[in-house]
Amino acid sequence: MSQAEKPMKISKQLRLQGQEFLLYRKNSEILLGIIQHFDCGADQHSCLLTLEMIFCTLLKDRNMYVEVIPLKPVEKTAENQYKEWLRNTYEQCFTKILHAMEIGSPKLQMQGLSTAMNLLAYEGKYPLEGKGSLESYVPIAKLKYILMKILSTKQNNGHLINKYTEYLIFDDILFFTWKILPSLTAKSNPNEAYIMNYLLLLEKLQVHQNADKKILCSEGNASFFTFDESITVKCLNKVWHCVMHWEHTPQTQKQLLIVLLERVLTHLDKPLLLTDFLMDSLDVGGPISLLALQGIFTMIQVHNLDYPNIFTKLYSMFEPEIFHTKYKARLFYLSDLFLSSTHLPENLVAAFAKRMARLALIAPSEDIIIICNFIGNLILRHPGLKCLLNNAEKGTNNTDPYIMEERDPVKSNAINSSLWEIKSLQNHVQPSVSTAAKFINTPLPSVEWDLSTVLDKTGDDVFDKEVKKFSKLIVLQFEKPNGACIGKGERLLQFWDL
Amino acid sequence: MAKTKNKKGTSSDQVHKKKEEKKMNPFEVHVNKEKFKVLGKKQKTDMGLPGISRAKAIQKRKSTLLQEYKVQNKSNKFLDKRIGERGMDDDERATARFATLKMKSYTKKSIFNLADDEVLTHKGQTLSEIEKFDDPKSDDEFDIDDKNGNLDTNFVEEAHFGGGLLKNTGKDGSMTHKDLINQLIIESKKRKAEKQKTKEATLELTEKLDSEWKDLIPLVTKSNANQPEPEKKPEVNDYDKLMRELKFEKRGTVSDRLKTEEELAKEEKETLEKLEEERLQRMNKDDKTTTQINHRSADDLDDNFVYSDDNDEDNMLSYNNEGESNLKIEAQVNGNTLKPSTDDSINEEQVAEEEQSESEEEELETDSEDNLSDLKESEEESDDEDVVEKTETKYDHKEEVEDESKDSSEATEVKFGSKQSKEAIREVKDLIKQSREFRENVETKEAETKEVENPDIPFTFTIPDSYENLVKILEEHENHQNIVIERMIKCNHPSLSEQNKGKLGLLFAYLLQYLNDLFSDCPEKDVLKKHFELFQQLAPHIYALAQINSENAHSSTLEVIKEKFEEFRKKPKKYPDLEILVFLKLVSILFPTSDFRHKIVTPCYVFMEIMLTKCRVRSRRDISYGLFIVTLLLEYSLLSKRYLPAAINYLAGLLHMMVPKTGVKLLKIPPPFKSTSSLLVLVENCSLDAADSLKLSSIDLVEDEITPDYQIRALHNVVKLSQQFWENFKEMPSNVEVFEKISNYLALVPLVNYPKTVQDGVNCFLDDLKRYKNGRKLHYLVLDASRPKALRLYEPKVQVIYDVKQHKVQSREKAEISKLMHKVKKERKGALREIRKDNSFLSRIKINQRLESDKIRMEKTKRIYSEAAIQQSEFNSISRKKKKKQ
Repeated sequence: MSQAEKPMKISKQLRLQGQEFLLYRKNSEILLGIIQHFDCGADQHSCLLTLEMIFCTLLKDRNMYVEVIPLKPVEKTAENQYKEWLRNTYEQCFTKILHAMEIGSPKLQMQGLSTAMNLLAYEGKYPLEGKGSLESYVPIAKLKYILMKILSTKQNNGHLINKYTEYLIFDDILFFTWKILPSLTAKSNPNEAYIMNYLLLLEKLQVHQNADKKILCSEGNASFFTFDESITVKCLNKVWHCVMHWEHTPQTQKQLLIVLLERVLTHLDKPLLLTDFLMDSLDVGGPISLLALQGIFTMIQVHNLDYPNIFTKLYSMFEPEIFHTKYKARLFYLSDLFLSSTHLPENLVAAFAKRMARLALIAPSEDIIIICNFIGNLILRHPGLKCLLNNAEKGTNNTDPYIMEERDPVKSNAINSSLWEIKSLQNHVQPSVSTAAKFINTPLPSVEWDLSTVLDKTGDDVFDKEVKKFSKLIVLQFEKPNGACIGKGERLLQFWDL
Repeated sequence: MAKTKNKKGTSSDQVHKKKEEKKMNPFEVHVNKEKFKVLGKKQKTDMGLPGISRAKAIQKRKSTLLQEYKVQNKSNKFLDKRIGERGMDDDERATARFATLKMKSYTKKSIFNLADDEVLTHKGQTLSEIEKFDDPKSDDEFDIDDKNGNLDTNFVEEAHFGGGLLKNTGKDGSMTHKDLINQLIIESKKRKAEKQKTKEATLELTEKLDSEWKDLIPLVTKSNANQPEPEKKPEVNDYDKLMRELKFEKRGTVSDRLKTEEELAKEEKETLEKLEEERLQRMNKDDKTTTQINHRSADDLDDNFVYSDDNDEDNMLSYNNEGESNLKIEAQVNGNTLKPSTDDSINEEQVAEEEQSESEEEELETDSEDNLSDLKESEEESDDEDVVEKTETKYDHKEEVEDESKDSSEATEVKFGSKQSKEAIREVKDLIKQSREFRENVETKEAETKEVENPDIPFTFTIPDSYENLVKILEEHENHQNIVIERMIKCNHPSLSEQNKGKLGLLFAYLLQYLNDLFSDCPEKDVLKKHFELFQQLAPHIYALAQINSENAHSSTLEVIKEKFEEFRKKPKKYPDLEILVFLKLVSILFPTSDFRHKIVTPCYVFMEIMLTKCRVRSRRDISYGLFIVTLLLEYSLLSKRYLPAAINYLAGLLHMMVPKTGVKLLKIPPPFKSTSSLLVLVENCSLDAADSLKLSSIDLVEDEITPDYQIRALHNVVKLSQQFWENFKEMPSNVEVFEKISNYLALVPLVNYPKTVQDGVNCFLDDLKRYKNGRKLHYLVLDASRPKALRLYEPKVQVIYDVKQHKVQSREKAEISKLMHKVKKERKGALREIRKDNSFLSRIKINQRLESDKIRMEKTKRIYSEAAIQQSEFNSISRKKKKKQ
């Protein structure tokens, strides 16, 4: 009880002290006391709040404002000296707050960022010095410090970056962040934490102006700057040029690809330069290659990229492991897009169909349904593949002519095979799967199956659906069990000694 | 006769007249020409008789208009109000007059007075009086009354017609007229009083008689029944008693003959076979019974109906001298009945529809914003979330879903004549034989245990009203729980009381809860063994309970499975507690697992699949758990021969664990197995004791440590399971592909360290696989020949014929109004014409009158003139005479 009360008390005390200081300005010792308390490391959170309150009020009341008249030294009055002292203290405190952003608990770091940004906003609204005719401005130097702290090389600052996105809805902050960013970009190989932070930040930065045109550092009028999209795009290109030259670990490469696909690719001047990078990424495997695949798809679609081995690469991505990854649905979606062209050679498409059918033999139920629909769509698009379903001339064969191990789909001899796998899957235990596999028994429909309905299904969904299935029929086992042993087909007790 | 003759005469006359009428002067007939002649159209106005119709019209006007004209300016009119005086014969007149009379009498004085004006009578009495039936008098009474009521004839004679004063004075002068009258009055009064008295007396008497009769009635009716009884009662003796007992004893009817054992067995066999067939039908719910069809015509009805082969005879149809054809047309149907195929097709359609609706149900959940979320998340989730709290989760059975679908719609019986199903039945019979042997073993064991029965258990049990009470009872009789439950079911069988069914349903739910509690908190090894034994003992009783109240069993089991799945979903990487295994086994005991789709079994399949694909395999417990599920899967799908990839994957994964990893080449294996895991690799050389069973045991389900002994047993069982799966899937075309991985891994397992029996098993299986692989025949897929397209039929070209009349398209009201306007116009025209004709008629009459009056006047003047001329001439002659005289 007492422990819980204590911090309350301290925060209250600090607040009271702050208010006292604001009432009696001359009482500089109170401020110094608070700063000291902050330095010693205890109750930093409430200290931050108090400091924020003090300096915000000071800035608002223009207690630190010094009129600068050109060619005239500042008069050394007591008041000016006091102001000078206040300003120095303010700068000191700001660096301390930034320091708090670097160390301390995540919660404290977040508070530090928000305090720093609030101070920044107040300083923008009520400048410390007269800046010509402008009433407000963005204190760029301070913003840069904040960004430097965010792009730390020591730790992952994901939470800070998330917090920072709250400020990115303000046009001025967004614009100046873009402007500052090239100067903060490392030229040589930085470490992984930095890259991660950098890419996370980059992911959050948007090139366009915000829709509702809010401005943080001014009250209403935005005369001090105009949001120029060409400048941000230029900055982006400049930054990206550096980023591409860094050395990437798999994690950062993945992040890089995400950023590339989501933010950057549409704004790049020469996107075709990325081709090699994407192709290299394609070879890595796993989610990275899938992301690269998506990038390549955009390149082919928008920028007319022509790359010969793309289908071989795609073919090699169909491995038994895909069913246990999160990007499975995306892979199916993308390959559906890639194979939607009707101008592909039939043996190539047949190889895809056959490989997927093989994978279906070991796939979870929900994926078998996807694969069945997928293969159906392929056959619909390429009527030549009907020989996979209906081949009356060949009769019987000893083995399946299709070679699963062959890397090149064209050489896999799939066109001479038949979809026995689908036939086998008609005996699947699950009625929905079994029905899906029965599409080969009847003439194909005229409209393709809609994959999007089945892509996101999970095993849980299947369970729910089966449970909800309304059926009046109540059927019970008719053979009386003997012990736990059922009438026929008892296997459990053959293997288990319970 | 005369009358008829007369009639005939008149009729013939009429006919004659008609004939005469019809023989008209052709110049008197006016024919209306038609522009178009329409066949079958009757027209009234095709010809007219202008002369006749004109005459008719004039006649009519004479009788109406002329009369009016005549009395036009008259203030006095003579109205003939006699009814039917004009134009009616006598009969008609009479009826008309009667009718008006009646009408007059019915004119009501008050509109509210509905029925009182006329009093209906019968023989002078009002009906209402008669209906009282107060005192119906007989006829003779009336006669008497008539006699007594009136004055005496003598008296009347004397008094009324007594010959006046003379006679009176003559007989006895003492009696004056006044006295006579007085005497008369007194006498009549006396008679009246007498009459009244006798009447009352008779009334009294009849009433008395009535009441007495009423008292007698019961005696009269009883007398028939009662009379013999008092006589026979004393005669009853033992012999009679016995005889009567024997006589009235319920007699067995002929049909109820006790069945012999063979018959009973046969009957049982038949019902079993019937059930088995139904099961097969459910299993192959949407499989086509494909019969080879040689020829299929475009207008085939798909009922496999074929005319018999006419190869042996010549096809020409001819008739012999007696008119018999040389061919007998025989129709034959392939397959036993027509029904199955149609039913099948219906089933199929239904299934297809269902599937369609399913796919429709699934809503489109397409994320328009592609945010790459699946990729951003770190795909490999932290493997070390072992800190899983053991939460005791007890499920409540309070929400017992009373299934409304109580009417379990019986599966329609469809006979399967196809070979396929027969084969299946044969196989099943084999299986039954196998299992029977197995069962006998178990039975002997059970019999041994039964001998040690405890006599202390009470014979009757009431079903406890709460779960806690049941547990208490079961704990009291810890070693004889199965007997307790059995007696509980027997004492509360639904045939004894209607409520028992619900109670037993409750007991079923309690028992599920009991099982749940037995296995949920991971008991100790020895306790576990005991619990499993208990489960085996309880299982038949649970089965019996389920049979008694099937709806309840259905719903509560489904609820349990649902709840367990929800629990599992919270921690999807970890195998749930043991009770799941028990429940899954229970499902296979209670429900037919071979159905194509079963409300409970299908979710269980999904559940097991998810467990096998998601749960991590890291310890002995995990491996045993997975193996248990795989065994259950084998058991579930043994009859239906259906395939679940997860089971095979799991077996392959376990074999992968037994392969030592050399490190040079990475053997890939999909999750939940790890490519580097080699938990089951047997390092030391082990020989097996003869006594050691190679079966897996319940202890494996709780132990974590992997011993060499366990490794041997694991390999043995994995191989055996794989073999059984393989044999089950032999008919699948992709059998080899499915088992490829298993055979690959199995070949890599170093067998040296394993005991001889295990080695033999493995080698045998590998040989089988290899032999089958070399020997198999793959038939290329061929689509069913589709029905040939029917020739295109050309529809007759229909031309629209337009009517000459043009109907305006207008609203209904407007059409009505225009129709009315048209009618008004027509009527106005007619009226005008009539008026014109009336005018001309009148003017004609006027001019006739005028002419007539002129004529009269002329005559008058002529006469006057002539008279005057005569007078003048006379005068002249006289005057001339006078002149002459003069």
